[in-house]
Amino acid sequence: MARLNYISALGPIAFAFYALITLVGGGLAVTSRSLVRAMVGLVISLFGVAGLYLLLLAEFVALMQILIYVGAVSVLIFFAIMLTRASADGGESAGPGWRGLLRATPVFLLTVLMVIMLRVYGVTGADTPKNIPVSALGTGLLGPYTLPFELISVVLLAAVVGAVLLAFEKRGTS
Amino acid sequence: MNPLFYYQSVAVLLLGLGFYGLVSRRTLVGMLIGVELMLNGAGLSIVAAAQLTPTDAVLGQLGTLLVMGLAAAEATLILAIVFVVTKRFGNADADGPRELRG
Repeated sequence: MARLNYISALGPIAFAFYALITLVGGGLAVTSRSLVRAMVGLVISLFGVAGLYLLLLAEFVALMQILIYVGAVSVLIFFAIMLTRASADGGESAGPGWRGLLRATPVFLLTVLMVIMLRVYGVTGADTPKNIPVSALGTGLLGPYTLPFELISVVLLAAVVGAVLLAFEKRGTS
Repeated sequence: MNPLFYYQSVAVLLLGLGFYGLVSRRTLVGMLIGVELMLNGAGLSIVAAAQLTPTDAVLGQLGTLLVMGLAAAEATLILAIVFVVTKRFGNADADGPRELRG
């Protein structure tokens, strides 16, 4: 019984750890003066969110988070940083300036308001997450959720074709 | 206090951080990083809501996978847009392409 109590006390500690990683990484991602450091902060934050998915017993989503976001999207962002090559810091060294901070004021107010509304109106949920096998996800993709699955593949195809079309340099016209 | 409250609070804070990045960054790539943070907050919120309430858990997890696919497609397109803007304006500042010319 005492052992069970130790284990149930580990949950909040793990949650606090992952939430801290997520928020610190996010803060680094939006405030860092160097874009490469901002991307490293984004990767840290993505790992934290993957840990939160694991705590929620959504292990397939956690693996996909690491595979897609950390593996693919961050590499794409790194390519974008390297392609701009305006300066070593990527053009963010001047900071947001007073205009940026002015534009950010409603964002702060909105975030605080949303947290307060969550606190006041409350959310009702179970204490422990559900655990479903990965095969249930596969059955769902082939059963009731086939249309979104096909639509996302069409969207990805359109995005890839659009990207190639945009970046393709026509010979002799530019 | 409910566990769902904490998860949703982290999701809201991620949304706020990403929104802050979106409005305060000068370059397109910095704004893209902000958008990715916002999408992560959305995914976390969806999974937490589906796993901790009587909702169908398959729906929540597949919805988050859908969000990830959309984020990948969006990042691809923005990479191409950054490439075009850099070629035309010399840098990827968001202030460069603010005039529409035919």
